[in-house]
Amino acid sequence: MDGYNLERLNFLVVDDNKHMRALVTTVLHALGARNVVEAADGADAYRELREFSADIIVCDWNMAPLDGLDFVRLVRTGRDSPNPFAAIIMLTGHTEMHRVLEARDAGVHEFLAKPISAKALYSRIRAIIERPRAFIRTASYFGPDRRRRQIDFKGLDRRRAAVAPSDAGDSALDFIDDGADPISLTQAEINALLNG
Amino acid sequence: MPDKHEIIQVPNVLKSKVTYGPDGVDVEALERAEAVIANLRSSYLIWVQEDLIKINACYEQALALPVEARGPSIKAVFGIAHDIKGQGGSFGFQLMTILGNQLCRFTENRTLFGDAELEVIRLHIAAMRMVIGELIEGEGGAAGEDLLRGLQAVIAKLDKVSSAV
Repeated sequence: MDGYNLERLNFLVVDDNKHMRALVTTVLHALGARNVVEAADGADAYRELREFSADIIVCDWNMAPLDGLDFVRLVRTGRDSPNPFAAIIMLTGHTEMHRVLEARDAGVHEFLAKPISAKALYSRIRAIIERPRAFIRTASYFGPDRRRRQIDFKGLDRRRAAVAPSDAGDSALDFIDDGADPISLTQAEINALLNG
Repeated sequence: MPDKHEIIQVPNVLKSKVTYGPDGVDVEALERAEAVIANLRSSYLIWVQEDLIKINACYEQALALPVEARGPSIKAVFGIAHDIKGQGGSFGFQLMTILGNQLCRFTENRTLFGDAELEVIRLHIAAMRMVIGELIEGEGGAAGEDLLRGLQAVIAKLDKVSSAV
């Protein structure tokens, strides 16, 4: 059976818990990744990004002194950010809706609820490869389009007409993340985001 | 009124760096990766023992302090419980994740930690020590359910007393 070969992808693993870093790195290696760099905190990770062109950042939320959200915001909007478009998977033990929305609004691509499994981590990597999203810039947000076609929103529908796919990328937008907020999600939708 | 927005189509660099084929991540590769995690079990048991020592030290530190000074120690308890919660289930100790989560929820939103609240923390730490000491895997079956029910009953009783005051 076929699958994605991850050998050429660059991964940056950011977690202040050395055991968690070791676990994620071990899993990535077991999935065929060859280029995995670790960082013990957000500031360290930001410095690493200057030298290491990370394709996918796997980042914990609970860190100090710079927590995961602040790190994500720095990657996305820092004036000297080496790659504001880097794909970011946030590892989190937080499952409350307001937390998930907060991370989404900081600009993460995917969430992964802890405790992790190899299958769950791979599913997030695969989602990033197969479903690339355009980036949206508004006065209050910069990050991947927060509208996910596969989730059926029960909130107020602010979506507008389609934008034609660009030749620059593979993604097409059915709707536009126009920055209007809040976009509420049900607990089932939160669970789907966290657990795949 | 929605914000003015800009859409930036980012070239799909990732897709250009991966190939899809028989040398990629298939079902067998995933199973091998899960087995690699399982092989870390003995390391996990050492890590979590260290965490249990640390969390107990934070609890004892809180116990030795007056109520109004216990905040930082309790925050430390939360931090370690959060780590325990985030790891247990990866190594087959789902009950550790559940206990860690319960302890996190208990410590997260309270502002006052009197001796009764500390007793709840102590009971959770004792429960986690028992799970690891007796290598209770998964959610612990009926014994695990009884354990959780007992802890939840203690919390409920404490909440009832607190709301009556």
